[in-house]
Amino acid sequence: MTTLTPVRNRSLVLGVVLVALVVLAALVSFVWTPYDPVQVNAADKLLGFSAEHLFGTDKFGRDVFSQIMVGARTTLYVGVVAVGIAAVIGTPLGVLAGLAPRWLGEFVMRVNDLVLAFPALLLAIMFGAVFGADTLTAMIAIGIATIPSFARIARSGTLQVGSSEFVLAARAAGRSRGNIAVRHVLPNISGLLIVQSSVSFAIAVLAEAALSFLGFGTRPPTPSWGRMLQESQELLTSHPRLALVPGVAIAVAVLGFNLLGDGLRDRLDPRLAARA
Amino acid sequence: MTVRVLRRVAILVVSLFVASIVVFLFMAVLPGDPAQVALGVNATPELLAKTRAEFGIDRSLVTQYFSWIGGVLHGDFGRSYVTREAIGPQLLDRLGVTLWLVGAGMVVALVIAVPVGMFAAVRHRKPSGVTVSGLSQIGVAIPAFLAGIILVQIFAVQLRWLPSGGWTPPDQDAGQFVRGLILPALSLGLVQGAVLTRYVRSAVLDTLGQDYLRTARSKGLLPAQALRRHGLRNASVPVVTVLGLQLATLLIGAVVVERVFVLPGLGSMLLDAVSSRDLLTVQAIVLVLVAGVLLVNFVVDVLYTVLDPRLRGS
Amino acid sequence: MRARLHLAALAVLLAASACSAGSSASVSSGPGTLSVGFTAEPANFDFTHADGAAIPQALLYNVYEGLVKLDAQGRIVPLLAKSWTVSPDRKTYDFQLQPGVKFSNGAPFTAADVKFSLLRVKTDWTISIKSAMDVVDHVDVVSPDHARVVLSKPSNGWLFSLTSRLGAMFSPTGVADLANKPVGTGPYEVASRRRGDSIVLKENPAYWGRKPAYSTVVLKYIADPTALNNALLSNGIDVISSLTSADSIPQFQGDDRFTVLQGTTNSEVTLAFNNRKAPLNDPRVRQALTYAIDRKAVLDLVFNGRGTLIGSMVPPTDPWYEDLSGVYPYDPAKAKQLLAEAGVKNLNLRLRIPNLPYAVSAAQVVQSQLADVGVRTTIEPLDFPAVWLKQVFTDHDYDLSIIQHVEARDITTFGKPTYYWGYDSPRVQQLLAEADSGTPQQQVADMKQVARQLNTDAAADWLFLYPNVIVAKNKVTGFAKNQVSESFDLTGLRPA
Repeated sequence: MTTLTPVRNRSLVLGVVLVALVVLAALVSFVWTPYDPVQVNAADKLLGFSAEHLFGTDKFGRDVFSQIMVGARTTLYVGVVAVGIAAVIGTPLGVLAGLAPRWLGEFVMRVNDLVLAFPALLLAIMFGAVFGADTLTAMIAIGIATIPSFARIARSGTLQVGSSEFVLAARAAGRSRGNIAVRHVLPNISGLLIVQSSVSFAIAVLAEAALSFLGFGTRPPTPSWGRMLQESQELLTSHPRLALVPGVAIAVAVLGFNLLGDGLRDRLDPRLAARA
Repeated sequence: MTVRVLRRVAILVVSLFVASIVVFLFMAVLPGDPAQVALGVNATPELLAKTRAEFGIDRSLVTQYFSWIGGVLHGDFGRSYVTREAIGPQLLDRLGVTLWLVGAGMVVALVIAVPVGMFAAVRHRKPSGVTVSGLSQIGVAIPAFLAGIILVQIFAVQLRWLPSGGWTPPDQDAGQFVRGLILPALSLGLVQGAVLTRYVRSAVLDTLGQDYLRTARSKGLLPAQALRRHGLRNASVPVVTVLGLQLATLLIGAVVVERVFVLPGLGSMLLDAVSSRDLLTVQAIVLVLVAGVLLVNFVVDVLYTVLDPRLRGS
Repeated sequence: MRARLHLAALAVLLAASACSAGSSASVSSGPGTLSVGFTAEPANFDFTHADGAAIPQALLYNVYEGLVKLDAQGRIVPLLAKSWTVSPDRKTYDFQLQPGVKFSNGAPFTAADVKFSLLRVKTDWTISIKSAMDVVDHVDVVSPDHARVVLSKPSNGWLFSLTSRLGAMFSPTGVADLANKPVGTGPYEVASRRRGDSIVLKENPAYWGRKPAYSTVVLKYIADPTALNNALLSNGIDVISSLTSADSIPQFQGDDRFTVLQGTTNSEVTLAFNNRKAPLNDPRVRQALTYAIDRKAVLDLVFNGRGTLIGSMVPPTDPWYEDLSGVYPYDPAKAKQLLAEAGVKNLNLRLRIPNLPYAVSAAQVVQSQLADVGVRTTIEPLDFPAVWLKQVFTDHDYDLSIIQHVEARDITTFGKPTYYWGYDSPRVQQLLAEADSGTPQQQVADMKQVARQLNTDAAADWLFLYPNVIVAKNKVTGFAKNQVSESFDLTGLRPA
């Protein structure tokens, strides 16, 4: 816990900084953006980098910087809801599978594997076909597809904790399974879950971008980084800036959450940290 | 070990069965009347009724399910409501394209990940190793479609070295086939290669920390030599697991890459079928993709049993 | 047992797929081959049951031929009919047929096929424009090369509709599997198709007319506009049949490998109002929305200013065209005033559009401009064609929509109250009927009145006329500048 090498420490710090950047952009966008991100303005279309328009304007004359800020909100929104769904459903399932009799645990995990066979993108396309694609269907699909990874982590964590002395003692004292889960297991696996959340968040950001790119994600005009990329495709030769900016934004968010997850993992797993 | 594998087969079969029911029910709630979609807006009620009977969608859901799954078991996926073509042969054709893409993408990923990951692990304390793992982090953060767009812009539009998209079957023109596959495979494989690099690195790091390798090194072997002689098999166990999971990711990632490169694979078939509400085709594709993922997971699990000496003993 | 079967089926499937990727057309790329890129792929080859422009675009005049066709100037000219005469009461048409014409399956083309094909529209077709054939009373086979069509009343629109897919000639021996095996008399036949990729047309060796310059034409289907552009830029195709976005035009113009041609189409990009639904049933509200939209800006932003502002449902290639684009100048103040007069406040409308690039672009501009006059809109992109056709076109479940109306002379749709416009004007219906049965001069006069009435009522807002932008390699020539028919006519194309 105490001896962190500089390299690992750096990834945690960098992760925190990048994530903070995205969060800050999203939060500030609620109270202020330089321009209305959806205001079309024929006179100002396709302006380059400048003091007035930090990242220039798009083919509709909309301010790209403002769109990136509000896009951060979309990204975080999708990430929070998707990871939230996965954590709220996956964690209890995993803990249950860990504490329950062996056969029940096995059964839960087999169901879990079945859910795993419906990847986020596929689910989102199916949801889009049934309910009409928008941000909501995208994040629910990503959330459901992420449940298995939480259930797995929670179960393996629970199995480890479950064989520890204090849990055995609590069992011997006749505490109920639910009681044990809440009082002993959850606090001990929370670190694992936080790491998993961060990594899943990165995956959710990528999935949302891909879905918006395919037209199965956020609807226009709500700014979304994936859709900005898709809309800028045709202008790649003449205005590469329009693809570059959202591309970098996506990369920053994904990199941030991945590094954060890595950094936290090292902090919480002394075995790895000691060796690295 | 045999018992374990047999048990796994049983689980696979039950999973496939349950998955097929889920897929069927899900598609059954799709809004829109397939007969109406097929006939357009001016169809008479009689013609609609006739077509519904012809499609078999006037029967109960249970009957429909069993007649569908019965056909699927014989390789008959039915006839599309929209294209009026048999789905099975179409599906095979498209699956072929996707499998080539996924296979080539996997090769690219492995070619990148194994050497780079080992390099990063062996030199994990040196600046070069740190740089490599940093780069792999950035690679993970780039969406495959973005990589694809950039590659097309450079190699097809600017340099005109390779086609920007499209598909040439291998038996028609092998050279053109390979040229057409390079960019899609790279965009799919580069990102997955970055992901895999990190797993290879940590697996090798793990192995390097094991006692027997420390012993080998104390006998004067360099880390890389020690690894080659003693550690690769052990390091391969977690890598194979991840590889399996990634194969599933690749199968789905191909959907997006096919869109960018206009490849007539399963992914583009799925998107087309969804936009024309070609229910039966969507159902067939989803089933095949899901079955594919389940199969891959099954194979990984079995390989895991075979590779891991601890599990082999039991 | 069941389990084994299941596994076996999957194993066979996987194994077979690994080696089946090649079962498709062999496309030689010699000098006789032309490769043309399109965005919308036909779901099948049967345009008698499926609406939409993609099938006739590929097949009409190329695979199927009618008695008459539209030439590049939009005139009706002979095709399978060598000549024709019209009776003084303009109800009887006598067609003299081309001799020696054969269908691609070998069957000879005679007056009996004319009768079969024309009557079949009423009984077997289901697409929305088939009603144009309702006026046919009966068809007589006078002799094998002489067909007589008798109409129940005079109709100017009828002969014109014969230039569309409605006039395509079928053989009773060739309609068994229209969706997959089209049989026509045209210069090309369908050699193969790879779904999601291409259709290959090969020269029909027994063709009666002039041999086409290209013996093989590959129709490449690339839905994504950028990918389509890239295919041409990287020499994957020779021609882009019609650009769907203007952003890339400078790139082609700056490259001396390509020629960029720009003409007009029949395709009005229309902001449809649901005329039947409050508050859009109030003409003042529709007029307000029309004043609130700066169509010049829409055209600039969506298509780089290429395309034509029209102001009604008439393209400049029709004889009754008048420029009505100045009637509703961009005037947000006037829009607000009209909304206030109509007593409409806090308007919130659903803009339900097809999920296609031009519509998504135009919708965002329209939304922003309507927001300036206090009208809020929610953009809902729907999968096209299936969902849009079902919910908007068929069920009329929409307030506003944006779509291209590609059919020739589709102004007549405003005469049908059941059409998704929900526009019901007895005056327009009467004028349309008079125009159809009157003399050609009266037709022009009446149609002008229809166009003006639609404009006055703001029955829809015609944002702009879609331009026909063809980009081709310099080595290909012979394109018609204006797209006036439903067909992408391959017969005139030749090496430069």
